[in-house]
Amino acid sequence: MAKRLLREHQAIIASPSPALELLEPSESDIYDWSAILLGPENTPYEGGKWRVRIKVPTSYPIDPPTMQFETRICHPNIHFETGEVCIDVLKTQWTPAWTLASALLAIQAMLSDPEPDSPLNIDAANLVRSGEITGYEQLVNYYKKVYTQP
Amino acid sequence: MTDIVDEPNVANEQPDGEEETGKSRFEVKKWSAVAFWSWDIAIENCAICRNHIMDTCIDCQAAEGSARPADCTVSWGVCNHTFHSHCITRWLKSRAVCPLDNMPWETQKYGR
Repeated sequence: MAKRLLREHQAIIASPSPALELLEPSESDIYDWSAILLGPENTPYEGGKWRVRIKVPTSYPIDPPTMQFETRICHPNIHFETGEVCIDVLKTQWTPAWTLASALLAIQAMLSDPEPDSPLNIDAANLVRSGEITGYEQLVNYYKKVYTQP
Repeated sequence: MTDIVDEPNVANEQPDGEEETGKSRFEVKKWSAVAFWSWDIAIENCAICRNHIMDTCIDCQAAEGSARPADCTVSWGVCNHTFHSHCITRWLKSRAVCPLDNMPWETQKYGR
């Protein structure tokens, strides 16, 4: 349903999400979107900006979009190499009431609140699971400085 | 409703005694009743296609020119959430839950 994507695009222009610096389709393909996600405040992600690539299936919104971090990020639920995101709303809990913007907001919330029991980044998850919060935050901060521009 | 705005009825309600005292001080010239209404639904847009619930669904809108297809109806769930019947039917094949509250979907009624 390309029309719903166009409608979402209009809604994003009318009221941009505070979680995002950018969310737009590519010029040539309405099913290929890019976003720049802002790190949530009062977390080690604060101040960082991550580019997220969004592939929308033609069956959208019955089926969820896939979202992949193109900027490297250290997080228990995001694959460090591929940028794959493990979040329930893009998998089992997806419903067509979600939008691209609201799903990205859910990902931003996940940055603040990792779920170390379903990890894609074992090292980051182990730090959270074993209560090494300072070590985890330093690791996140290190990769933020290496891979994201302020 | 028509009884209330019927002017002869209003006139008949004036007290009988007015003929003895001459002209009454007040006379109802006109009475305009104002009614407020709203759709009996929780939301106005179909959360699946984002069209207004009283318009056609996004597919029917794209397919037709002007006339609304007779089968583009609205479905109410027992949760009182509403969607175009076309939209919710396509979604329920994926997962039989209300898209807005994730509870098992049960249709309460169809209609316009």
